[in-house]
Amino acid sequence: MNLLRTLLLLLGMIAGIVQASELKVAIGVQDPAQLAMSGNAIPPNMPGTELIALNDDMAREICRRVHARCTLSYVPFSEVLPGVESGRFDLGFGNILRTPEREKRVAFSAPIWFSSSRLVGTPSKAAAFAGKLGQPVSLDNLRDARVASLEGSLQLTFLNAVASQNNLTVLSRKTASEVIDTLRDDTADFGLLAMLSAYALLNRDTTRQIEFVGTAVADRGLGGSVHIALPRQNEALRQSVNQAIAAIRADGSFQRIARRHFALGLD
Amino acid sequence: MTIPEFQERYRARLAFVILASAFALLFSVVVALLAMDQHRVLEASQRLQQDTIPQIIRFQRLARNLEHLRQEGERIFSATTPEGRQQSLFLIMLVASHPSILEHPQSASAARDAERFLVETGNQAARDASQIYQRYGEWQNLSKRLSLLVDDLSVQGASLATDDLNDMVEVMQLARTKLIGALLLVGCFLLLLIWLLNRHLIRPLQRIDQALSSLSVEQPAPQFPDARMAEIHAVEEAIQRLHASLTSNDAARRELELLANRDGLTGLINRRHFMHVADAELLHAQRLGRPVTVALGDLDYFKRLNDTYGHAAGDTVLRAFALLLDESLRQSDLVCRYGGEEFAFLFPDSSVKQAKALLERFRQRFAEHDIRLADGLLIRVTLSIGLADASHGTIDNALHDADFALYEAKRLGRNRVIVATETA
Repeated sequence: MNLLRTLLLLLGMIAGIVQASELKVAIGVQDPAQLAMSGNAIPPNMPGTELIALNDDMAREICRRVHARCTLSYVPFSEVLPGVESGRFDLGFGNILRTPEREKRVAFSAPIWFSSSRLVGTPSKAAAFAGKLGQPVSLDNLRDARVASLEGSLQLTFLNAVASQNNLTVLSRKTASEVIDTLRDDTADFGLLAMLSAYALLNRDTTRQIEFVGTAVADRGLGGSVHIALPRQNEALRQSVNQAIAAIRADGSFQRIARRHFALGLD
Repeated sequence: MTIPEFQERYRARLAFVILASAFALLFSVVVALLAMDQHRVLEASQRLQQDTIPQIIRFQRLARNLEHLRQEGERIFSATTPEGRQQSLFLIMLVASHPSILEHPQSASAARDAERFLVETGNQAARDASQIYQRYGEWQNLSKRLSLLVDDLSVQGASLATDDLNDMVEVMQLARTKLIGALLLVGCFLLLLIWLLNRHLIRPLQRIDQALSSLSVEQPAPQFPDARMAEIHAVEEAIQRLHASLTSNDAARRELELLANRDGLTGLINRRHFMHVADAELLHAQRLGRPVTVALGDLDYFKRLNDTYGHAAGDTVLRAFALLLDESLRQSDLVCRYGGEEFAFLFPDSSVKQAKALLERFRQRFAEHDIRLADGLLIRVTLSIGLADASHGTIDNALHDADFALYEAKRLGRNRVIVATETA
């Protein structure tokens, strides 16, 4: 009887170890078509693939360094933080900026790169608003416009905060690709996106209908260091991930991963 | 050796407590100074690690991004296809939007100007690619501005490290100087301690050891220089008192010995002491084969003298007799009051003949010697002597022979010297 109890206890411990060595990773997608995909099966010609692939590689490298097996899930950006907060995911990737409000919900890793925000729009809209405003369009002088942004993003939070003051109509979309679509179909005049996310989409756009408008912004919570989101209750995991990030930076793996997908270093 | 004038003395325990405290204080000060320097080095290291290196990395990142921006700008002019030019433009916008550039006003301004210029150039190239080379001169100015900024930022980043490292080097050099100074100070203190120990403890102890080793009544009282350590001085004083006590005890011993070996009336040695010394003399002479002679003398009619003039007169005669003996006999000759009016003699290195001549002269001299009694009356007393050779046999046998000769001298009429062999 005692032997059986010991065996059951050992099996339970082993099961716990297996459980602990598997990490559920959420990666914010760029396009709705990517939601149905799993693993690294996203075709390279899809919009914003570089950013997804970058996050994929980073997640796999970190999992390898912490001796864990990754299970990747592609979700809209708006589901990344709630998913990590609820414990559905152990790691959340998606160009996530760190703010005091978000720190109350999730824990953050050490910085992985830096990001800013920028308006995007068609050249005709940019010219029209510049004529109306009497100066080139920027986030500071934008008035009486329809602006789209990503659901759950700090860009959307910012727009909502200044919407009434600047008479802005704010539109929320699940993915960055859908934000770009609002510009194409003239549902919105401008889009406000994370720079890297917008770059990944526009760089692939052969139509050249959409371009960056105005200057980039990194203040007012719209830029800064980008982190991996983790559950607040798992400090040990955060420490392990931070050690892995430091190791990845120290041995040049980070630079190689970034260069694999972008033509410049991201940090 | 002369004793120096009195100096103030210190208790050794107090002196060493003061020295130990001074050393502890000195050592604490040195440790505190070194700890301060160490703290400064630690602070500088932490500042370098936590502030300076991240700042240097920020400068490096900024310089790298600006250089990247400049290179992509060059590619706008060198690109042969619109797609290549467009990709460079996107990269320029991406790099110009990097927070590292945006948070640095000078770089942000330069990047904004470069981006604006290059976007206009790109738009112009889309319309007529051959026209963009007219803008290259202006781009070179912008490119030069970016290059200078990159150089400035690189130098600025390097200077941050240099400043911190210089600060650390300065602190380390100061610490090294302090350490050398501290070591010299501690070395000097230890030398001083050794000198003080040698002067006030080791050398006085050596003097005390020497004084105790040679302490005896034959030697003069040991003299010490005035010691500064109270304990040492006390021991030295005790040694001097010990020497005085030894001398005093020796004098008392000698006095007691004298009293024990002498006859109280005549001052001559007593029979016990005579027998002890004579026995040793006999053995010595017999071992060396030297002649030795013993004799017994007896004052004639001494009982009658006592009866006639009283015992006080007898005592006067005995003292006069002893005094005359002292004047007449040699230093090496031994004589004792053998009992009553009887005296024993021992003549080392003297044959019977020599001793007989000596005693004969003495007998005559005593017989002619006037003795003044207490009442002023002058009297004369004669002496009968029996002489025997003691070169062989025991002292008892020799005295026995001498006694027999004395008896013979008495029998033959007194006042004469008779040798035992003459009667044998």
